[in-house]
Amino acid sequence: MLIENLKTALEALYGNRLRTLLTLLGVVIGVFAVTTTVSLGQIATAGITGEIQAFGAQSLFVIPESSHPEGRPFTDADIDALSRLPIEILRQRSTRAWAIAGEERVRLNVVGTTANAPLIDRSIELDRGRFFDERDEQAAAQVIVLSADAAEEFFGTGPALGRELMLETSGGNRSFYTVIGVKKRVGGALGAFANDVSGDVPLESLYRDVPGVPRDRYDFLPITIALDRDAGEIEQQVRAILDRRRHPDSYQIQSIEGALSLFNTITVILQALLGGIGAISLVVGGIGILNIMLVSVTERTREIGLRKALGAQPRTILQQFLIEAVVLTVIGGVLGVLLSIAVLWTVVALVPFLDVFVIDPWIIALALFVSVATGVAFGVWPARRAAALSPIEALRYE
Amino acid sequence: MATEAVIVARDLRKVYVLGGGVEVHALRGLDLEVRRGEYAAIMGPSGSGKSTLLQILGCLDVPTDGSYRLAGDEVADLDEAALAGIRNRRIGFVFQSYNLLPRATAVDNVALPLLYRGVPPRERRTLALDALERVGLADRVHHRPNELSGGQRQRVAIARALATEPDILLADEPTGNLDSTTGQEILALFDALHREGRTILIVTHEQDVAEHCERIIRIFDGQVAANEVVATRRRLDGGVVGC
Repeated sequence: MLIENLKTALEALYGNRLRTLLTLLGVVIGVFAVTTTVSLGQIATAGITGEIQAFGAQSLFVIPESSHPEGRPFTDADIDALSRLPIEILRQRSTRAWAIAGEERVRLNVVGTTANAPLIDRSIELDRGRFFDERDEQAAAQVIVLSADAAEEFFGTGPALGRELMLETSGGNRSFYTVIGVKKRVGGALGAFANDVSGDVPLESLYRDVPGVPRDRYDFLPITIALDRDAGEIEQQVRAILDRRRHPDSYQIQSIEGALSLFNTITVILQALLGGIGAISLVVGGIGILNIMLVSVTERTREIGLRKALGAQPRTILQQFLIEAVVLTVIGGVLGVLLSIAVLWTVVALVPFLDVFVIDPWIIALALFVSVATGVAFGVWPARRAAALSPIEALRYE
Repeated sequence: MATEAVIVARDLRKVYVLGGGVEVHALRGLDLEVRRGEYAAIMGPSGSGKSTLLQILGCLDVPTDGSYRLAGDEVADLDEAALAGIRNRRIGFVFQSYNLLPRATAVDNVALPLLYRGVPPRERRTLALDALERVGLADRVHHRPNELSGGQRQRVAIARALATEPDILLADEPTGNLDSTTGQEILALFDALHREGRTILIVTHEQDVAEHCERIIRIFDGQVAANEVVATRRRLDGGVVGC
């Protein structure tokens, strides 16, 4: 009887293709709305957190407390003392200078740093050319790695590698630097903060060519911790070492997580918002399914009456409608999920800000469950009501 | 001819409650006996309760009060499942408006009650085709109701009622929606079924139709007003048969 009923149900669905299609559409839209809104929230969240992590989730910034009498900058001795910890410390100074290339005269943020900077600062990625190496560093070579914005300012879309740039500092000093690399633009949510008109040069070259940048003074220490280390524990150790060297209140340690707590707050709000919209979609989708099932079954009250008049057991009628509802909602649910995946995938592919495709199996399961549950409840409930009528009452139903 | 009573109704009452609490008494203590193999017409003016009676006799509806014994079983004592079984096996019901599934072919419509009886697909099809052949629709088995004329639809409905080989055939105004020629063809079919020994009850308001039967049961105001034996039965083969 089950197989017969399955056949009857499929025939009924096929026989009334328009109604089947409309019901399917209701289910598809319901499931699609839920899956897409919730997943979109998760994709946005994953995009932001992913970037935060790529930017250096395992990072610390040590900053002198300028209001404290002992809040002086850090020295090479401080760095050496910290170096026995399993961390990388970036020695980095920056200053502003005029840079001239051809007709272009631009105020450039000149950053003196070390050859290992790309290893420590994961936001540094080269688009063209290379970063300077240790030999350049030792020779204090006059080479510069431009930011994407800086390269565009000076050379537009033309070639930048191998071109000369003249740095002119406040004292009238002029020195010529060769462009050896151009960095990639920092994409995503953090790009707005990280992109600037800047150029990286070896630290020694900066000291030599830009007077007024004193040695042995670091206004902040960026520290990178290997990903497998406990950042909290390392922070304690950094504090222990620095506390022996200067007053405990004369500096502060910021983790990037702390600095980005605003982002976290936004993320939480975003998730709550989209979760709420998702919940509303779930209810709306459920009501849509409910509505279409209710209408579809109610308009078949006469059919139910006829089947009863011909000797169908109420159980058999319920089974038929149950199968119809399950088939409809499962097919509709799967189509809705597939549509959602396709749309989300396209969104991720097209929107640069979103670059991690995530779709939570639990969301799929929840959306499918709600669609099947509402479909079955509201497909079978009116069928049960109709099957409880006497055949003649059901046949008389208009 | 067997003379045992297959239908025994005693003091049948049916009250419909309309909106606003208005009660309509369709049957008011009706008594009726129908013998096995009998061919009877139920006549009466509109609202006399003749359709209600037929529906109760066909187990499509339940009386508000009174006793209805079908082949010895008290119908009021039967549960929903047993009633479905009776509708399926014992009774063939022919509606005025045919009541076919619009999207199923003639053969599928006829096979439907056999499906509910649990007949395997192949046998179901054979039985349905036989029934369609008996009503003269062997060449229309794959047509849907909207591809058939009114008379053909009613014949499909009769084939559906016959397919399960029921004891009792109940027809509610079977010719009501048909022109007179087609109506005569349908009645000829009932005559033939009667000759096979089936118990047939036809609700009608046409004297011509009723005179095909052996007995006319006249209903008035929810009760049996008269039982008339038809002295000269009409036959479609032209002859008039004395009783």
